[in-house]
Amino acid sequence: MSKDETTIKKMLVDHKIDGPLAAKGFGPKYSLRSPSVPNLHAKVYTEYNMSDPTVGNATGGQGTSINEEDGTLSVIDMYGDDDNDIDDIVSSRAINLGSGNDDGNDADDLRSSTQSENIFNTTSINNSIDKPNGTGTGKNVQQDAQHNDRYGFKKQNNSISESDYDRWWLDYSKYCIRRKHKWQLLLEKSGLPIVDDSPIRFPPKSEKLKRYVRKGIPAEWRGNAWWYFARGQEKLNKHKGLYDKLLVKVDKMTSQNKNDKTYPDLDIIERDLNRTFPDNIHFQKEVFQNGEPPMIKSLRRVLVSFSLYNPKIGYCQSMNFIAGLLLLFLDEERAFWMLVIITSRYLPGVHDINLEGVNIDQGVLMLCVKEYLPEIWTYIYPNHSDTTVDTESNRRTMSSVPHKTQSSMMKNNFLYKLPPITLCTASWFMSCFIGVLPIETTLRIWDCMFYEESHFLFKASLSILKLSEHDLLKHTKKRYHSSSRLPYSITGSNHNSSGDLLNNKMHQDENDMEIFQVIQTFPKKLLNPNDIFDKIIFKKKFSFNRLDQEEIDRCRKYVTTQRNKYKRYVELIGNDDKTSEESSATLVNKENLDKTQDADDIINGALSSEVYGFKRNLTGVHWNNSLKEKVRQMKKKIDGDE
Amino acid sequence: MGNSISKTLGRLFGSREMKILMLGLDNAGKTTILYKLKLNKIKTSTPTVGFNVETVKYKNVKFNMWDVGGQARLRPLWRHYFPATTALIFVIDSNDDDRLIEAKEELYSIISEKEMEDVVLLVWANKQDLKNAKKPQEISEFLELDRNLKNQQWCVIGSNALTGQGLVEGLSWISNNTNNK
Repeated sequence: MSKDETTIKKMLVDHKIDGPLAAKGFGPKYSLRSPSVPNLHAKVYTEYNMSDPTVGNATGGQGTSINEEDGTLSVIDMYGDDDNDIDDIVSSRAINLGSGNDDGNDADDLRSSTQSENIFNTTSINNSIDKPNGTGTGKNVQQDAQHNDRYGFKKQNNSISESDYDRWWLDYSKYCIRRKHKWQLLLEKSGLPIVDDSPIRFPPKSEKLKRYVRKGIPAEWRGNAWWYFARGQEKLNKHKGLYDKLLVKVDKMTSQNKNDKTYPDLDIIERDLNRTFPDNIHFQKEVFQNGEPPMIKSLRRVLVSFSLYNPKIGYCQSMNFIAGLLLLFLDEERAFWMLVIITSRYLPGVHDINLEGVNIDQGVLMLCVKEYLPEIWTYIYPNHSDTTVDTESNRRTMSSVPHKTQSSMMKNNFLYKLPPITLCTASWFMSCFIGVLPIETTLRIWDCMFYEESHFLFKASLSILKLSEHDLLKHTKKRYHSSSRLPYSITGSNHNSSGDLLNNKMHQDENDMEIFQVIQTFPKKLLNPNDIFDKIIFKKKFSFNRLDQEEIDRCRKYVTTQRNKYKRYVELIGNDDKTSEESSATLVNKENLDKTQDADDIINGALSSEVYGFKRNLTGVHWNNSLKEKVRQMKKKIDGDE
Repeated sequence: MGNSISKTLGRLFGSREMKILMLGLDNAGKTTILYKLKLNKIKTSTPTVGFNVETVKYKNVKFNMWDVGGQARLRPLWRHYFPATTALIFVIDSNDDDRLIEAKEELYSIISEKEMEDVVLLVWANKQDLKNAKKPQEISEFLELDRNLKNQQWCVIGSNALTGQGLVEGLSWISNNTNNK
């Protein structure tokens, strides 16, 4: 980077960009602008234009650059690329430079053979776009001449450096422009108007539109698109005026004595307000600004209103992030209703006080991992790991079966005693990937979530796990070498010595630590949304891509029933719920151990006769009528024993 | 038992490993402490949904430090996972007078749990940089640990996550007090 560029950057930083966000409907206020502008908010941008002549120049330069690129784009379109396939190839070339990963999706491959000449042409055009940028970088530096991305988030974090970000953005911003152009053509064809660079209506659902969404909704359209796909207006129309009424209550509450402890959520919300996106300029206080940023005020109103609107949820940490992100794209009232929709439709029960929704979704996710990512499954849920204690009863049952079938013996109890990895993945769902993945990737998943419903969250999770497989399993090999004794291969005497127990426990801990480390850090590096989409989601070879909403709904129902039944059996058999929940990791004292284990075995035995069958699996056992009978017999046996 | 084995391992490999659970009310500074220790960087404060875990090495001890998110209602998600903790670190915002009582109640409710009866307890009286912050001595008196903890080792150390003051002292106290057990 040249000295001048650095100076420009510095100047821009010194004029910290902030301003009254379009708290009321920024969508319509939008001016025609490409997503490659450094900031989403037109108003913010003009403000600092006026205050700083240098920046004014920068915008001028930018204007030309956009036109230039748009011009080139229309050239690309002359090559009959009406089904946007070529674009994929171009984009993947441009983005995955050198990674050789543009074998893309299957359909594209087919086409590429027939249209190879065209592709060649477009690629070379694309290269010619690259060149001026590559050599005379001034233009791009001006576009990105700040430390924040187009949404106002800081580019740099613990996992990604600013130069990494800039390098990636150089290509990705072009991809965004191309995609937006595609969208514009699509809307034009569908006869839908684009007013103020933000369409209000979108075409009816179709495979094509789904693909467009998966490749990213233009950033400036996101607010309206999410609102449209999530059927927000429908919701709002049903409750016209409700938000205003809630606001009146909120005003009363917040203006009252703050020490009023009758409403505990208020306190918790208050403490989280200034800790929501502190890295984002829109959530920060301006140097000369008195009072709090408008964004924080909006966030308070949305969260407090919500806790009044839905006392069953109230306020749960992570909702601050969801609401905060919504507010970057939608006006306050619409953000509120979207929060309502997300917490009820896409993440049902996840934020409820009893947390059952989280556990159900984690159960569903584990079912899916077990079915679709068996290698990862055996790693995150080794055979014995229903409890970290190598139980006598486990070995008793295990010793009679060949090793390979052992994992299937465990059947269902991972649904009630969730594997440790769910400690991580639960937060993926709760915060809907905010803070888990870099922002562009998060937003892309949101695009798909609103269009394809909640099953996409599971697909996304499975994709992330699949991508992290290499990192995850790398540790397994190391572990096999470093320890002569595997944590779950202990045989020998029925009476386990505590030494073995502890040894086991330590291996288990070590194993878990490695899992956590990978699962915690890996997603943060997924800067490029296309990594997930091109490598996994668009690939037919990954069978979990066939998951649909119906399947996930069925899974959710199944897990819900299983967990409820488990609770009921626990009560029935008299196994203290608390003990059994906690025995999954607790070294319970020996006398209780046997009893607990027996009861657990019975419950598990009874429940695991109903193994979930995924759709494709025609032989899968769905429901088993002999279940009741079995439980009754078991219960009799216990009663008899006593 | 656990200690004797890790001690043996320590002798063999010249290192020890410890699982450390870091708790405290939300906004006490747990995550900031963790990343100060791990990366020597200040992370902007933001609520932790779920947890962060990092390995921090100090001398020949590997601390697996768990920083668990603040809001009380999320606790059932992870609480069953932490029985084998060697040490418990409780972080207190020394500047937040209003919530000291709440912090104290929280601390006692945690250490009264069965799984916690053998752990050593370190209290970091955090945010010592703020001018109204209570001194470690005051925090210690307020918590009344000397009166209530008979069989457990405990210690209150003043800390400032921004400068790192008190952090190494804390870890080395833990390391020294789990060694001879």
